[in-house]
Amino acid sequence: MVDERSTWMKLGFVGPTLLFLIALNIFPLAYTIVLSMTDAEFVGESAYVGSRNFAAVFTEQSYAGAIRTTGLFVFFAVSIELLLGFVLALALSERAGRMPGRTPILLALLVPMMLSPAVMGLFFNLILNANYGIVNQALRAAGLPQPLWLTDQRLKFVTIVMIDIWMWTPFMMLISLAGLNAIPKYIYEAAQIDRAGRWTIFRRITLPMCAPLLVLAVLLRATDALKQFDLVMAITGPNDASTQTLSALLYHTVFRSGKLGLGSAYAIVVLVIVIALATVFTRYIGSIQRRQNGLT
Amino acid sequence: MKLLRYLVIVVYFGVAVHPLAWMAMTSIKPGPAAISLNAKFVPAFTDQPINPTSIRFNASLDAYRSLAQPKGSGNRSFFSFLGNTIIIATISTITSVLLGTSCAYGFSRFRIPGGNDWLFFILSTRFLPPLAVVVPVLVMWRQFELTNTHLGLIILYTSFNLSLSVWLMKGFIDEIPKAYEEAAMVDGYSQMQAFFRVVLPQATTGMAVTAVFCLISAWNEFGFAMTLNPPVGQQRAVTVPAYFAGLQGNITGVPWPQIAAGALLFVVPIIVFTLLVRKHLLRGVTFGTIKQ
Repeated sequence: MVDERSTWMKLGFVGPTLLFLIALNIFPLAYTIVLSMTDAEFVGESAYVGSRNFAAVFTEQSYAGAIRTTGLFVFFAVSIELLLGFVLALALSERAGRMPGRTPILLALLVPMMLSPAVMGLFFNLILNANYGIVNQALRAAGLPQPLWLTDQRLKFVTIVMIDIWMWTPFMMLISLAGLNAIPKYIYEAAQIDRAGRWTIFRRITLPMCAPLLVLAVLLRATDALKQFDLVMAITGPNDASTQTLSALLYHTVFRSGKLGLGSAYAIVVLVIVIALATVFTRYIGSIQRRQNGLT
Repeated sequence: MKLLRYLVIVVYFGVAVHPLAWMAMTSIKPGPAAISLNAKFVPAFTDQPINPTSIRFNASLDAYRSLAQPKGSGNRSFFSFLGNTIIIATISTITSVLLGTSCAYGFSRFRIPGGNDWLFFILSTRFLPPLAVVVPVLVMWRQFELTNTHLGLIILYTSFNLSLSVWLMKGFIDEIPKAYEEAAMVDGYSQMQAFFRVVLPQATTGMAVTAVFCLISAWNEFGFAMTLNPPVGQQRAVTVPAYFAGLQGNITGVPWPQIAAGALLFVVPIIVFTLLVRKHLLRGVTFGTIKQ
């Protein structure tokens, strides 16, 4: 069937998507590279400035700060989400035994990840308000100290991490559950015949068999957390040193300061990090898919 | 052990449900009660005035009703923004699922030159923080007069979701045995007919799961909904997240009950859609790495 027609047919199936993605990714990126070497602003002429923007990227405090903030955010949010999500999945998994109303509970737990981060971030401004927020009112009634969730220099970052954990732990739970439910029963039965203890079973069977999927979950979440923008905008705005993520910095540079050239240089540097992560990710998925296909 | 399981679930559930419960509570409050210095958490279904120091408040559906009233400079109601979201999110979801399915089929069934490199390219687009391309997108969109339009956001969201769509659908289509199509083609179907009449019906659950994930991200997107509808423009395609975010720092005070009511209405379609595909959700999140 290798003839002219089948070449056209292949193109017909994959062509539109590839064209679409090239038009909306490659072209903008090429344009970003061009812009990153100019001093372009929203209005007026722009001139070629060579690598000056890149020099600014690496010498300016804000960039190092944004990398640090983003890194810390990804690390804390994703690791806590993984831990909580996995523990919840263990408690909810089919192997842990019967549980009345498992499906409704599971679905209710998923609701936070369906909410808009921008809208929920806004609403948390009410919940966490220092004076009339319900959290601090409860703390006051209990005679406990009432932290300034939204304004304290250090706490704001923690607040954003906590909201992200609230929203995305369900996602980790969902993937962990998929992994736990896919472990064949006979392996556990064999372990029981061998009189393996609970802890041994967990460490030697459950954890290793879930691990590939957990890594996948972490990578998926990490790529999203890396883009964190909505919550930062809602809680502190884009230009707060203690919460400025890379996306917030990009937004601030382009839209508040109007420096398109510098913003583009930021974007290019972000891109390099992203490509490195993407490489790890695809290799990983490829290797598990191959292993799965080899098994079946 | 059993006790521990229940404890974990009850404690997490108890904490996680609070923000939502408070949102539901706020949505039936009058404005001043939402920001009262003594928390009000006992709804009273009466019109009688209530002592301001009481924990009770006059519950009503006024906030939901006022969502229909046109407000602001554009004189539009919440529902017009909801309409924008529905149009943009639905069309972009359908487009990305259809394009993604056909592309996934191509990669699954044909030998395509540089196939893995293309797949890597498709996946890598998902890693790009959308704001990294905001400048060129803005310039292009102005050139083609796509700012302030539904079409502009539909195109963008489709491209954001395409990579996820291709990869999820490839997982699903890889599992549909080739023998089905081959049998159909022996019976005289062309490859195209085999795709439409044999593969597509088999792939519908996969498409539905993919659609949920695309819909959630298009429905809730904020960055571009805001930047491509600048306040100086006509703002014809403002979606709900962008509209609500714009209410922050409102000079007349933030209308919390309306925001709570709107946010709750806003998530209902997503919940309903998720309920419809709940059985296949677990399968969908694993990128085809698990066979069930």
